[in-house]
Amino acid sequence: MDRRHFLLAALGLPAIAAAAPWPARADDTIRLRDLYNKDLSFSGYALEREGERVSISGYMAPPLKAESHFFVLTNRPLAVCPFCETEAQWPDDILAVYCKRVIEVISFNTRIVTRGKLELGTFTDPETGFVSRVRLADAVYERA
Amino acid sequence: MKSALIASLAVAFSTGVALAQELPQKDSKWFTDAQAKIQEMVARQPNTKRAKNVILFTADGNGVGTNYAIRLFSGQQAGGLGDDYVQPQEAFPNLALVKTYTTNGQTPDSAPTASAMNTGVKSKNTMINVDESVSVSDCAGMAGHELKTFAEIVSENGKSVGVISTARITHATPAGVYAKTVNRDWEDNSRLPEGCTNQKDIAAQLIDQMKAGVIDIALGGGRGHFIPAEVTDGEGKTGKRTDGQNLIEAAQANGAQYAWSDEDFAKLTLDGSPILGLFESSHMKYEADRSGEPSLAEMTAASIKSLQSNENGFYLSIEAGRVDHANHDGNGYRTLTDGKAFADAIALADELTNDEDTLIIVTADHEHAISFNGYCGRGSPITGLCYDIDDAGVKHTEEPLKGADGKPFTVIGFLNGVGSVLKEDKQWTGSRPELTNDEAMDKDYIQQALIPMSSETHSGEDVAVMAKGPWAHLFDGVIEQNYIFHVMNYAVNAE
Repeated sequence: MDRRHFLLAALGLPAIAAAAPWPARADDTIRLRDLYNKDLSFSGYALEREGERVSISGYMAPPLKAESHFFVLTNRPLAVCPFCETEAQWPDDILAVYCKRVIEVISFNTRIVTRGKLELGTFTDPETGFVSRVRLADAVYERA
Repeated sequence: MKSALIASLAVAFSTGVALAQELPQKDSKWFTDAQAKIQEMVARQPNTKRAKNVILFTADGNGVGTNYAIRLFSGQQAGGLGDDYVQPQEAFPNLALVKTYTTNGQTPDSAPTASAMNTGVKSKNTMINVDESVSVSDCAGMAGHELKTFAEIVSENGKSVGVISTARITHATPAGVYAKTVNRDWEDNSRLPEGCTNQKDIAAQLIDQMKAGVIDIALGGGRGHFIPAEVTDGEGKTGKRTDGQNLIEAAQANGAQYAWSDEDFAKLTLDGSPILGLFESSHMKYEADRSGEPSLAEMTAASIKSLQSNENGFYLSIEAGRVDHANHDGNGYRTLTDGKAFADAIALADELTNDEDTLIIVTADHEHAISFNGYCGRGSPITGLCYDIDDAGVKHTEEPLKGADGKPFTVIGFLNGVGSVLKEDKQWTGSRPELTNDEAMDKDYIQQALIPMSSETHSGEDVAVMAKGPWAHLFDGVIEQNYIFHVMNYAVNAE
């Protein structure tokens, strides 16, 4: 039993989680979706890498406020459809990214890679009130 | 006279056979298949019985182009080249092209298109079941301009009514079955302008229509619009209502069964008693991401089984609401997986009903700014790259076709949307990125687009309507969208 399988077994995760494809990229960058299982529970990768610095690719949602250290990473460009939505609704599978510096906005439809310390568990941002289940802390980012 | 007709048909057949015997291509499968189709068409008889049941399937945003893409996707998923695949609705005997413009929109949104199908008249964009003389959001001016819906008509005649959507049940297409509103966005009271007393919000109207016995089953998303802001639902999300009303409890107090998960859904008693199913706070999940919720086919089957307990029949409106949303996102993969789920629901509805007494109509409310590149060889993956035609064979070569910029392109593209190659942080300039087929086939891939927009748009292009059952043959040629109501109404009243 390797470390990952041991961890999954110890956490009592269902067999389907263990069978989920392991994100494999030469440069160790994963996609945001690799943090979640289909039922939105954390993936084996997320559980194993908690507290470590990881690289994750996705899209920068338009920031909630100017001069912020914080943005939301989405799997696909966040489209707010005027004929679909009465207000912006965040998808369930997002990542809150807290950066070392004030962020420079990158177009919401340009793929980026962000690297930071992976934190799991519910957290309410005291400044914005934004509630997140998973975050990157001390993050940096660049265009993919 | 009848004998004369049969005699002349016999001559036509024998002429056809004689002709075929002389042609070098007579043994080709293309030829023999088409000959068989001729015989099927000649033998076809219209069904002129009264329709006991009407099922109206709408895949939101599934115009002729999107439907084409779903056909190829489904065929390729089944291991074929894709283009020769036949979706269940494409085997229906009757078809027309539908003009979807509205009284003020060359390009429609889903509110007036739903109105047209449910009331028999066209109206303004953004409004549902209110006539065209009223301005959008004019709550004061709407009094006396509300239209009577097909659901209300058939309910008065003793039929049951069901409404299903994978979008919020308060979204435009399902709301067209039961609500009258001068603004489609007034899904809960928090959006209703102060002092607006001529209409309630859409969620409240659904519960009123259930109480009134017009709506018997409502299944979809949109739970948040039914519960107060201070209430947290079973999935940990708060409601949106600011009037303190819990409409789910109100429905239950009136005898409705309620379900919010696939487990609840499986426990519903399907005996014709009222059912409210709200499986997400907002829209239900895309089929590709679905977990803990029933599929569109499962909701369709449960509704038909329950509604069939009414011997007077039923009207059931079924919407695949998120074909539209994935197109808005520029994400071909989810457009097509939700389109396949739509087709699966149609196949199941067809299985569970009788062609003799059930009119099944399959259509869309509008098309999107989706488009298709060429010249792709057969079998080019519909969500992937366009490969060259093999001059010596059938299936495409391994060579992706390239633009004048030397880069490959996908089969599907969008005229506008988030996939635009023009980027804001590059002063709206840009170029097409390099692309591999693996990248394009990824489920999250956004197809390239031209005009930058935060959401890809609808288009005014025609959609198809395909039908079977009583009076389905009234669909023919190029029709106005509001004509669909008239076929339904004629079919249920035919002597």
